[in-house]
Amino acid sequence: MDVAFIIETIVKIVVILLVFSALAGFGTYFERKVLAFMQRRLGPMHVGPYGLLQVAADGIKLFTKEDIIPQNVVKPIFKLAPVITAATAFMAAAAIPFWPEFTAFGYKVHPIVADVNVGILYVMAVMAIGLYGPLLGGMASANKFSLISAARSAAVFISYEVITGLALLAPLMMVGSLSLIDINNYQTGGISNWIAVSQPVAFILFWIAAFAETGRTPFHLVANDHEIIDGFGTEYSGMRWGLFFIGEYANMFFISFVMAIIFLGGYGDGSIAGALQLLLKVAFFFFFFLWTRAAWPDIRPDQLMWLCWKVLMPIAVVNVVITGVVILIKQGGM
Amino acid sequence: MHVEPFTDRNVSEQSAYYYVDIENYPVTGWDKFKQVVKRSIKGELFVGLWVVMRELIKFDIHTVQYPKEKLPIGPRYRAVHKLLRLWESGFERCIGCGLCEKICISDCIRMDTRIDENSRKEVTEYSINLGRCIFCGYCAEVCPELAIVHGDRYENASEQRAHFVIKDDMLTPLDFLTSGQQKEYPGFGAITPHEDERVAKTPLAY
Amino acid sequence: MNEITITIDGKSVQTQEGEFILNAARSNGIFIPAICYLTRCSPTLACRICLVEADGKQVYACNAKAKDGMSIVTSTSTIEDEKRAIMEVYDVNHPLECGVCDQSGECELQNYTLEMGVDSQTYSIADTHKPAQDWGLIHYDPALCIMCERCITVCKDMIGDGALSTVARGGDAIEAAFKETMPKDAYAMWNKLNKSLIAPNAGDTLDCTNCGECTSVCPVGALVSSDYQYSANAWEHTQIPATCAHCSAGCQISYDIKHTSITDPEDKIYRVKNEWNYVSLCGAGRYGYDFQNSDVQKDAVKFDAAVAAFKKADTISFTSTITNEEAMILQRLKEKFGYRLINEEARVFKAFLNSYSTISGQSLYSGNLKEVHESDFVVSIGSALKTDNPNARFAMNNAITMNKGAGLYFHPINDPVINDMSKNVTQFNHAAMMEEAALYLMLDLFGDKSAMPSEVVSYLATFHSTKMVTIEETIDEKVTETVVKKVLNEETGIEEEVSEEVTKTVKKKVSKEVEVDTNRLYELLNAPEGFADTLTKYLAKKEKFALMVGPDLYSHPNSINCARLVALIEKYTAFNVTMIPNLSNTLGTALICDLDATAGSYTIGYNTAGNFTLSALGNGDLDMPALNQQEGTLTSIDKRVNPTNVAVGFGGYTLNDIANALGFNERLTVNYTKQLPVNAGFKAVEFDTLPNHYTNAGEEMRGYVLTTSSVSINGDESVSRFDESAAMRKGIVYLANPVLQFTPFTAKAHQLKESGGLYASAAFMSANGVNEGDRVRVKTDKGEIVVNVIADGKIDGEIPYLPTFDTQINSSTLFNGYRFATVSIQKV
Repeated sequence: MDVAFIIETIVKIVVILLVFSALAGFGTYFERKVLAFMQRRLGPMHVGPYGLLQVAADGIKLFTKEDIIPQNVVKPIFKLAPVITAATAFMAAAAIPFWPEFTAFGYKVHPIVADVNVGILYVMAVMAIGLYGPLLGGMASANKFSLISAARSAAVFISYEVITGLALLAPLMMVGSLSLIDINNYQTGGISNWIAVSQPVAFILFWIAAFAETGRTPFHLVANDHEIIDGFGTEYSGMRWGLFFIGEYANMFFISFVMAIIFLGGYGDGSIAGALQLLLKVAFFFFFFLWTRAAWPDIRPDQLMWLCWKVLMPIAVVNVVITGVVILIKQGGM
Repeated sequence: MHVEPFTDRNVSEQSAYYYVDIENYPVTGWDKFKQVVKRSIKGELFVGLWVVMRELIKFDIHTVQYPKEKLPIGPRYRAVHKLLRLWESGFERCIGCGLCEKICISDCIRMDTRIDENSRKEVTEYSINLGRCIFCGYCAEVCPELAIVHGDRYENASEQRAHFVIKDDMLTPLDFLTSGQQKEYPGFGAITPHEDERVAKTPLAY
Repeated sequence: MNEITITIDGKSVQTQEGEFILNAARSNGIFIPAICYLTRCSPTLACRICLVEADGKQVYACNAKAKDGMSIVTSTSTIEDEKRAIMEVYDVNHPLECGVCDQSGECELQNYTLEMGVDSQTYSIADTHKPAQDWGLIHYDPALCIMCERCITVCKDMIGDGALSTVARGGDAIEAAFKETMPKDAYAMWNKLNKSLIAPNAGDTLDCTNCGECTSVCPVGALVSSDYQYSANAWEHTQIPATCAHCSAGCQISYDIKHTSITDPEDKIYRVKNEWNYVSLCGAGRYGYDFQNSDVQKDAVKFDAAVAAFKKADTISFTSTITNEEAMILQRLKEKFGYRLINEEARVFKAFLNSYSTISGQSLYSGNLKEVHESDFVVSIGSALKTDNPNARFAMNNAITMNKGAGLYFHPINDPVINDMSKNVTQFNHAAMMEEAALYLMLDLFGDKSAMPSEVVSYLATFHSTKMVTIEETIDEKVTETVVKKVLNEETGIEEEVSEEVTKTVKKKVSKEVEVDTNRLYELLNAPEGFADTLTKYLAKKEKFALMVGPDLYSHPNSINCARLVALIEKYTAFNVTMIPNLSNTLGTALICDLDATAGSYTIGYNTAGNFTLSALGNGDLDMPALNQQEGTLTSIDKRVNPTNVAVGFGGYTLNDIANALGFNERLTVNYTKQLPVNAGFKAVEFDTLPNHYTNAGEEMRGYVLTTSSVSINGDESVSRFDESAAMRKGIVYLANPVLQFTPFTAKAHQLKESGGLYASAAFMSANGVNEGDRVRVKTDKGEIVVNVIADGKIDGEIPYLPTFDTQINSSTLFNGYRFATVSIQKV
């Protein structure tokens, strides 16, 4: 293999890790600020100007805090679980094109770690492995509430994997490729070409499922603070807990990228304007995560499962069938 | 910060409270589905989103940045206790009757008394265990001499729990008294305005 | 006394004929207010608030006696007006210092003011300045005094000191206008109140035995303990019901405890309270409460040493200041390991009791102090009554004062306190060793000669002789004369002169020659001149006879004979006999333990000297809990097994821990309560079931009374004659304690701390040329010690005494068992 390719890949990996770790941190800052403003509060104000350095303060706190491993936990699994969450989140980023190709110092850069031809399948698969973080962490914690949380997270993740899969099926049928770059390129040519326009139902379904996949309000049942304390994270402290946190926020960013690329046209034609559009779209999705948290209450676990299996799943199946029929008619008719 | 929003507590059924109209819960699956569709389409979810977005845009922030800004506290605020002195003589008002000790519902007041050189009851030590005190104010209420009162010092974080709770901490220092800094609280036993003019001969028959 | 039925407020009530209405009401749960009345004392009629209407006539419930069929109404509108006016008058000029007053709410003035609903004041008078007075252990604030005179009454009728009386108050007279407008009784009460104050008879300070009962009965905060003053509020105390641990009276007390201070959360005893209507304390009981062995931690090394010492020892020597349970443990240890148990005073008491039983046929003596209280002729032999058992002295005084009784007191040391009781008490200051003569005299004077053993009768006859003497006989003669006398008008309070014709009987003396019977026992016992006549007067209308015998007899060289004589007195006279045990639990110890006379080679001393000492005084090899740190029972002079409780905690080991280490297995010392020997009169009851209180009717609900069982007797009632030549007349010393002291425990209490010496009367000091504070060498044939001379105003005559309470003075080594010893005393 080409040494330059290896170096480039390593550099890309490091950049993605650093950028998204930092973004996860700033994500918390933004979340606090947005929630505060929506609730007529100021949010963090004391560390740095307008509380900007709050992230650094939290980082220092998390890194320097005593790493407590409770007595009765299953120690290897307990230690491993946060790593799974963080690692799978970042692994999923490997197949995501964050930026169109550009040339720097005469070198052509592909801002994607691995442009595999089954990109979206890879992303979905790795994100699905992320389930093991909360599941193992909760089960290993020797804590009843953690265990309940683990069981819930397994149920929610597995159920909503079905929705994400079925919702994606229809666009993929249209695109005919699993590569995210191909999907992006399919939509070049303006808003009317966006898959969200041709597949609104799939878009809404995927968006709803994204809340469940990332465990955000109104589907924040995995670590429901007021019901089961902090769920699977109850027994964690310090940086181990921080890894869960980084994983959650990184996931939010990546799923925002995935949604922007698959449904809202991605970076379009690859121009700088298109690239900035992508960032704006991602920012909107991220902001929407925070927005819903300020506005909506959590729903009950049974309502969540009911919604999944009795409402969303049938709609998704019908959507796939209709899409198939339409494609068949289009091809056959043409 | 303004006091008005805090002082206007004129809440009545007509003015501030209204009942939420709750529909009957759906029973069948079809009803539930209809409810979901209805709610989704009616845009209830978006009302919520709009409300918080509106507040974000209005940016009407109510946060009091506490250590820098402080809210005014009411004159009857019940914070850490104080022991007062008599205005003119500077003697301690506390006579050691022990009523505060008796009435204290969390049993956190203790005092040591003895007979002093002038054959009067002297309170040698007085303590309130702030770890147990619930700041109900009964001690101040029952005090016949208006000696123990609640002060306005509510910032009682300290390195040691025992701080603020022994007699020396609570008693008005003499220089405070002479410089007129001892706050007087209205209530039974308090000095009323124009006290000197009101003093009259005792109504005994002789 | 006949059972009668009276009606109070429509409720039918059973009572005794002659009982006061107030007591009948109280014992049946009917409330009649009363301030000045004390249950066992004479009515004072100072407060007048106990007004009731009996058969339509207003009477005072405290001094009106119930008659069969009487109908009593406690409340009419006149009575209510009187009561309210009385309470208003009490509140006139009463200082408004309830906040700091030591009564802190336990105040009868407060209670009755509220009860009568006094919410306004109609009466007034100029106040007088009445400075507070310090009387040593007692503090008097006349400003707070409401002149109920309970202190005076209890001091005279119960204690017998009569140290208090009223003096003029000074100040203005009550405005004349009030006389017309006020209710009558309220005015009379006020009139009296406004004229007097309490003062000691001896001037500025109290001359008494410092029992402090006056502070106990005071309904307001006028009389308080100087030490307690302003140190705590009554409501803060937890009251621990207990039994006084100092003497055999076993008085009911409660230790009032509270945390020591803000910085010290450990419990501390602040004062001792008693049910003053039914039990009176002496000063040692009231002020000697903090004798606990404090600041003791469990020291495993010392404990192991103690266990090792027990394994090594063959003798356990102990005192009787232990509980029955501890005595039981010691007895069990003896049974298991064969220890010898040494407790000389309990052993001699037991021997005395046993030889008494061989004639009386009863395992225990017949009397108790309650019966002494109820009797009207009391005799005490062989006891320094006021210090051996103050309650026995109170009982004698109360009986003589309240029942119009008389008494005889046989003791070598003249006791002015006994003289103060009544003029109807005669002291026999006989020579030491002449106690048997006193007992023979009792047989001679009161014995049924026709039933008594003939030997005794004939022996008694040898003391009698007849001779002709010229006596002066008094003849009554009636004379009529006019006298002018001053009469105090109750209503105005002014004395008026009234002349009236009076017929009175004048005694006229006539000389006459008669044949008289002389009794040489009188002479042997130093009877006062003309005692035979005095006795005849004493014995008029007497019904109940009580004899108290004391430790002098138990330690007497002929104690066995003394015991047999006591049994004969009980059998052939009307007297019932009460024996005064030496120490707190001498009776219990004597009944529980098999005691040995001689010690072995290695002795464990419990509160006494030994090769290894366990001590509750804190000076031994292993610390033990004092009696206010233990729960358990104490056997009192009343043959009652009284429970006592833990007042202050003890951090160390107990005797039970040692017993458990030696192979016993009882978690608590009080597990032994139900194991106390039933054949000795104890009952197999759990400690926790023992009550400790008095009912409203004055019934003593404390522990249980020992069962007296009958003992087989062989009919041998022979007693030996006494040896007149053994009399010790001059140069002797006595072994006793001063007032307020019993044991080293009383001397440990902070209010009673003192060091002992040779206690001597003024007469002794002037006769021997010594002064208070002089060092003297006291030498007997057993040894010698050098001590200070201490003046004791409460004895008379030429016999000094040495105390046992001071561990620095090894006084008992000078004595050969008997409490008197021949001595030479030289100044050094």
